[in-house]
Amino acid sequence: MEGSIVEALAGLSSIGKGLAYGLAAIGPGIGIGIVGGKALEAMARQPEMAGQIQTTMFIAIAFTEALALLGFVLTFLI
Amino acid sequence: MNPLDLLPGKIEELVHELSVLPYNDMHATGPVTEPFVLTNYVVWGIVSLVVVIALFVAVANREKKQMRLALETGEATALAPAGRLAGVMEAGVEFIRDMATDVIGEKDGPKYVPLLGTFFFMIVLSNFIGLIPGGKAWGGAFGGAVALAGISWIVFVFVGFAKNGAFGYLRSLVPSGVREMALPARIGLGGFIFLLEFVSTFLVRPLTLSVRLFANLYAGHVILGVFAAFVSLFFPFVESQLGWSAGGVGVGAVSLVFLVLMYAFELFVAFIQAYVFTILTAVYIQSSVHASEH
Repeated sequence: MEGSIVEALAGLSSIGKGLAYGLAAIGPGIGIGIVGGKALEAMARQPEMAGQIQTTMFIAIAFTEALALLGFVLTFLI
Repeated sequence: MNPLDLLPGKIEELVHELSVLPYNDMHATGPVTEPFVLTNYVVWGIVSLVVVIALFVAVANREKKQMRLALETGEATALAPAGRLAGVMEAGVEFIRDMATDVIGEKDGPKYVPLLGTFFFMIVLSNFIGLIPGGKAWGGAFGGAVALAGISWIVFVFVGFAKNGAFGYLRSLVPSGVREMALPARIGLGGFIFLLEFVSTFLVRPLTLSVRLFANLYAGHVILGVFAAFVSLFFPFVESQLGWSAGGVGVGAVSLVFLVLMYAFELFVAFIQAYVFTILTAVYIQSSVHASEH
């Protein structure tokens, strides 16, 4: 009886780990999509600004990605 | 025998292969825990540093020699790159210099080109070494990524305090608009924003910088390893003694194609991660240099 509870708890913690990263990745996934799409739009409108837009895009992606990375770290902490 | 039964063993082998081990004892059980052990990651990290230094010293010497020769003979080749390798390296250095002046500014940027250049070339080379079977990427071990992010952290915190003074740097964490509000809002809202900005500047920045590099490289290596394991398990007569079967050959062939595609993608990731690490360091330095302006 006790053994099965321990096993169940281990299983639940694995599910929690999966959920922690999975849920943390949803928002940044959408966010990076928006950043990339808008950057593409801007580059199509003004190709001469492509270099600068790309630099800014990478910076914005890095900040958006930070949230997913926090979830990734949390996965190991649970 | 079902090849999938062998897969867990393969994954275990893969994780062991990617863990931090003494460089001369690949069969050690478990990762190294005691300090001051020459590990496989340290050895390959030193290799990538030495290669970067050797490349730059060699090219710089050739450029100097050509410059002197051109000045003596009066030929117009003084500013041309000395050979094909020098051309590539010059393009790389120019790339870093443009990044520094674009992000940090015309005046303060050039001072940080050596730091950013060392970061970029060391990380990109060590990432490529990590893609050679047997080689290890310095950022592929979490400690290595933390060390790189730690250097970046020390630099931008030091620059922030040196340029703005201890009080000025901490004060600049709160936006100027909030600082000019009436007293209760200034303390309440200002204190809240200060706490948020403090955590995000001093804790989250180095954390994300190191985790980004580590997670991308580690995940990439695991994906390559899993596809390689699938190829060796499913192709008949390689490892599982599967014998001829259409399914085995099919899965093996698809895995092989994906392995090659993912390898190409990892080459791209190796470059992109070095670029992102460098440009984020530049952005953080910029926010420290110009802290008093916002």
